[in-house]
Amino acid sequence: MLNIENLNLSFGDHKVLDDISLEVKKGEVITFIGPSGTGKTSLLRCINLLEKPESGRITLGGLTYDFGSITKKETLNLRRKTAMVFQQYNLFKNKTVLENVMDAQIVVQKKSKKAAHDKSMKELARVGLDGKADAYPHQLSGGQQQRVSIARALAVEPEVILFDEPTSALDPELVGEVLKAIGEVADSGMTIILVTHEMSFAKDISDRVIFMDQGRVAEEGPPEQIFNHSESARTQQFLRKFYTTTH
Amino acid sequence: MFDIMTVFESFVEILKVVPKTLLLALIILVLSFTLGAMITYIQSLNIPVVRQVIGVLQSFLRGTPNVVLLYLVYYSLPLVLAWFLGLFNVTFDPTSLNSTAIVIVTFSICYSVFQSEIIRGALHSLDKDQIEAAQSLGYSTTQVLRKVIIPQVMVEALPDTMNAFLIIIKALSLAFLVTVVDIFAQARLVGAQSFSYLEAFVAAAFVYWGICVLLTYVIDKLENRMRRGYA
Ligand SMILES: Nc1ncnc2c1ncn2[C@@H]1O[C@H](COP(=O)(O)OP(=O)(O)OP(=O)(O)O)[C@@H](O)[C@H]1O
Ligand SMILES: [Mg+2]
Repeated sequence: MLNIENLNLSFGDHKVLDDISLEVKKGEVITFIGPSGTGKTSLLRCINLLEKPESGRITLGGLTYDFGSITKKETLNLRRKTAMVFQQYNLFKNKTVLENVMDAQIVVQKKSKKAAHDKSMKELARVGLDGKADAYPHQLSGGQQQRVSIARALAVEPEVILFDEPTSALDPELVGEVLKAIGEVADSGMTIILVTHEMSFAKDISDRVIFMDQGRVAEEGPPEQIFNHSESARTQQFLRKFYTTTH
Repeated sequence: MFDIMTVFESFVEILKVVPKTLLLALIILVLSFTLGAMITYIQSLNIPVVRQVIGVLQSFLRGTPNVVLLYLVYYSLPLVLAWFLGLFNVTFDPTSLNSTAIVIVTFSICYSVFQSEIIRGALHSLDKDQIEAAQSLGYSTTQVLRKVIIPQVMVEALPDTMNAFLIIIKALSLAFLVTVVDIFAQARLVGAQSFSYLEAFVAAAFVYWGICVLLTYVIDKLENRMRRGYA
């Protein structure tokens, strides 16, 4: 369903993504792990075209886009089939929770107010925040804000949702509620690409885990393999270091 | 003798030119804002020579009293226009240029410098995260501008812009120098007619103050409305 071929991205002469290829099936949950600065965020941003790769191709929803020659129209088209959940939530600060979820449906999808409203309330209920529809983002906890941003992503019915460390800006006691919401999104059959440092969550939720190192896919496989029987010395080293520094 | 009745009569007379003064100030505000936005944009392009030239011009405008600028424009603009139109074989009588136009040109240029600073500040405080959120959802460039950037810039620039509006209203009191009748000029006329300058100027002071209080109130309300959601 989502197919990335030979994606390359550089900042200046720093090669950040080196010939990444990836195939994702509908409803699959893929998790990226790896050391800091390895290009995980950059990869998500490329799929959403917030960053423009210098070469490569992506196929999504039956259409293929060539990064080398992508037009403005294609860019918008691809973005409209994907949604991003950011580390810092990136909500519209001067809009209510409900307006945050409604806005793209009205502006981008040209839905009627009524249809957008109903859809938004449904998605807010899914993340348990229909009671906060009229609140402004700053009146909510970080965990609640992130759940709003998940509802905002769901509301545009994307083919895939990209999560970039959705819980790493949160106080520890708020992480659980956001992970629970992501779990429910996964259960509903949504295709998900997730970057996280929550290893046990990754193990539970993922169909496939990809260990990224220095802009490349170093190892990939089912969670059981990556976390317990990794064949790559780099992966083992990363996980060992990760567990000794955070646990 | 100070006569309160005369103050009241002067007040009523002065009120008659308030709409004209406000309209003039509004035109100047809009023009200076537009010009200021253009300056901000051009300066952001960082073109070597252009950048320095505008810098010098800004410094000149900042360092010269409004009165001097007003006279400068009053005496030079008609000649410059006549010469310029002459290039296209259009004859133009320098004395036919409307004084109001001269006031508008002078103050628009003058305050564009300040507006440019205000806009620069507001753009500086733009929240890039919100722009990226909109882009990631597929907003087009104009949709991002309309729905995310402009509302934010408006909120940031509003207090300073309103302040500029009040400053322009007060600065227009210089317009009498080139025979444009604003609040202050009207007070002089009223005072001269009744030989009661003090009463006329007391009335003028209250008119200015009243406008200020009223505008501040409206703007506060507006700002509170627009700032909903900002912690
Ligand atoms: N806009 C940019 N300009 C220049 N370099 C950048 C830019 N964005 C990212 N980089 C660099 O690209 C590399 C990959 O960054 P990226 O944020 O994708 O890593 P990451 O795997 O998400 O790291 P982390 O786990 O810390 O979030 C880093 O070396 C970073 O410094
Ligand atoms: Mg990152």
